[in-house]
Amino acid sequence: MNDSSPVVALRELTKVYGRLTALDRLSLALDRGRILGLIGPNGAGKTTAIKILVGLARPSGGSATIAGCDCLRRPKQLKRLVGYMPDTFGSYDNMRVWEYLDFFGAAFGIRRAARKRRIDEVMAITGSASMRDRYVESLSHGMKQRVGIARTLLHDPSVLILDEPANGLDPEARIEMRQILLRLAELGKTLIVSSHILAELSRVCDLIAILNRGRLEAFGTLAEIMKNVSQQRTMEVQLVGREHLATAAEIVRGYLESDAEVVPSPAEATVRFRTGKADRELVGLLARLAMSHVDLTQFREIPTDLEDAFLSVTNSLRDQQTPTGVAS
Amino acid sequence: MGYAIVERELLGTMRTGRAFALQVATSIAFAVLIVSRWPGNATVELSGAQAREVFRLFAYGLLAILLLLVPAFPATSIVNERKRGTLALLLTSPLPAWSVYAGKALGTLLFASLLLALSVPAATAAYAMGGISFTAEVLPLYAILGAVLVQYTALAMLASSCANSTDAALRSAYGLVLLLALVSLGPHYFLQGKPGVLPQIAEWLRCVSPVPAVMELAGHGDVGAFGLGAAAGTPGRFLIFAGVSIAACAVLTIARLNAFLLDRPRPQGIVTDDRSAAERWFRRCVFLVDPQRRKRGIGPLANPVMVKEFRTRRFGRFHWLLRLVAVSAIVSLLLTYAATSGTIDWGVETIGGMMVVLQVALIIVLTPSLGASLISAERESGGWELLRMTPLTAASILSGKLASVLSTLLLLMLATLPGYLVMIWIHPPLRWQVWQALICLGWMALLAMLLSAAVGSLCRRTAVATVVSYGLLGAGCLGTMLFWLGRGTSFSHSTVQSVLTVNPMAAALTIIAAPGFTAYTLAPANWWWMGGLCLACSAVLLVQTWRLTRPQ
Repeated sequence: MNDSSPVVALRELTKVYGRLTALDRLSLALDRGRILGLIGPNGAGKTTAIKILVGLARPSGGSATIAGCDCLRRPKQLKRLVGYMPDTFGSYDNMRVWEYLDFFGAAFGIRRAARKRRIDEVMAITGSASMRDRYVESLSHGMKQRVGIARTLLHDPSVLILDEPANGLDPEARIEMRQILLRLAELGKTLIVSSHILAELSRVCDLIAILNRGRLEAFGTLAEIMKNVSQQRTMEVQLVGREHLATAAEIVRGYLESDAEVVPSPAEATVRFRTGKADRELVGLLARLAMSHVDLTQFREIPTDLEDAFLSVTNSLRDQQTPTGVAS
Repeated sequence: MGYAIVERELLGTMRTGRAFALQVATSIAFAVLIVSRWPGNATVELSGAQAREVFRLFAYGLLAILLLLVPAFPATSIVNERKRGTLALLLTSPLPAWSVYAGKALGTLLFASLLLALSVPAATAAYAMGGISFTAEVLPLYAILGAVLVQYTALAMLASSCANSTDAALRSAYGLVLLLALVSLGPHYFLQGKPGVLPQIAEWLRCVSPVPAVMELAGHGDVGAFGLGAAAGTPGRFLIFAGVSIAACAVLTIARLNAFLLDRPRPQGIVTDDRSAAERWFRRCVFLVDPQRRKRGIGPLANPVMVKEFRTRRFGRFHWLLRLVAVSAIVSLLLTYAATSGTIDWGVETIGGMMVVLQVALIIVLTPSLGASLISAERESGGWELLRMTPLTAASILSGKLASVLSTLLLLMLATLPGYLVMIWIHPPLRWQVWQALICLGWMALLAMLLSAAVGSLCRRTAVATVVSYGLLGAGCLGTMLFWLGRGTSFSHSTVQSVLTVNPMAAALTIIAAPGFTAYTLAPANWWWMGGLCLACSAVLLVQTWRLTRPQ
């Protein structure tokens, strides 16, 4: 495999369970050192895709390769290329963190002297060195996630696949997890991260793939996705007080398209709306508000985040598609 | 409010497939019993011997079913709640501890009572055959069985409240049942007819077990009675003991059902290496193999899965095993010395029989708990997926896991070896018998391990796998002994011989020529049976492990 070819490549990947299509012709490619965020509602097929990539599930059609290694045909080679952290930790009772890592290091065939060094290294990378002698089952959720990542790094894989790594973490632990992921990308690892916590993903991921009912609905950078999936943007009018809130909302409604969504917020004294109108067209609205003696302090566009993108994709598709079933 | 717990417990149990299977199996077993013994001709049997025969089988069968099945459900009831986190919800609700206890106990008891109720048609049929008194035999039998039900439920719930894991709870519960129902009979078996205080204590002690009470009601003498008339009144004594133990277990369990049950700090993970020199020295003396010491990395030749199994087990760790083996070895040595030096006149055969029973008890109590969790616990905790992601092959995972249980079992087998060696040293002609008995016990250990592991590979939940393993092993080793109890009355010599052929404990007892087993020859046939069963279990285990390591 040459350096320019993608590290992870999925081609027409399909998984069918009886009458249920969990993955429907999923195709994407990921280059070395990139972080891909895999998002989608429950049952979108994220975990199914991940399980095929790590060799735990057999695809019904299509192919998946990691560093040129077919995920189904060459499972032994695949295991050395991929580090997988499932959404459940997989702990063992009565085992200390060092023993836990030592076991998995031995299972990967790392020699004892090299294993000791490697365990120290991965604990340093993930900031878990202080937990060395602690029992695994006594660790907090955040600590367990660190140890889980340390485990995936033991055999120095080129691709890390993390299923919901930020799930259940407190804000501080989430920030630390984000820093760990960025550090891993700096080390040249390619990461695939699935998560429900979209704000976290948008901060670390270079690329986003949105899955819905087994289909890839959007793929690219956040900016690219927003450009493709939505022609609308969110605008906000900030008022001095809420006495003119109803008037302002009425003027905005009158100016926009009939089906435009206008949300007045008495608590924040704002009127928020989504529109496809260009800046030049919105000048008229601003003028109309000013002429109506509505005391406003700001008229601005709200930057779109991943959550908006996700909702745009899933909401726009909800009405278009007939349900095909729910993926596991 | 407690009614909600009863309803949830009962419905929760009734909705499971195993509950349905248990009810169907119980109904079929009793139907077969009645059909097989129902008079086939129109001749009236005035002596009532046939009805009594059916009644005996019915009583022993029902007792065996209760002993095997009753502890399974209550033993997991509290520990499961704690592991799932729902115990905290119950304890923070307005329900008092006694209400929680009563709700859970009643839910389990109602289900177990259903099993008892399923036996009523069979009891009615036996009564209809004539020759059995309803008030003097049928009703007292149900009173005894009802007491067994409540007593073992209370006992298993106490074990559940003390345990940290489901397999530990099941192991403790079945261990206690074995102790109360069978081991308590031992002293009387050996001391009966002797003068002194000890035989009298032993006679009372045997009433802790429901077996003598049921035997008395069934018109049998006593377990291993040497032709002497057994003392009457065992049902009454058993009921007194059952009442006291039920109250004691209930009080202790209710006392444990409070917020302090959950008020445990996370272990700080202090290792012995970081302690003071005095502490290190003390721990070295107490533990021999200190579980808290900092471990070296897994060696290049060791199977990592085997090492992991040893490190993650609480009970399977070396310091516990060494203590257990040391205690068993000392007991077997003392018994052998006492018998051979003439201190007691039990005879070498009796002592040999005791050691066989001791060895089998250790195997039955420990092996299902170790073997059934090998694969099911990994699947339950999510560790199986991680194992599958390593380059370890299915064969290497399986061999590592089995080696960890096998080495534990070998240590257990060593427990009684010193006693046998002393026997051979003092009485060399016994050498061949002892070797043959050890072969039987070896087969027993191997079968217990493979059977439990095969069951564990088929179950998703460790608790289910452990219960099924205990049930199957108990049915094979203890259930078949019911036929031996009915030898000469309910069952012919050839029937008992055929049934005992599948029982390695009985084979070992016949080889040792233990009292009551001299009339049977089981050895070579039993070994063939054991070999076949082990092969079948290995095949299931291999196929299932291979299947579980494949992509789904």
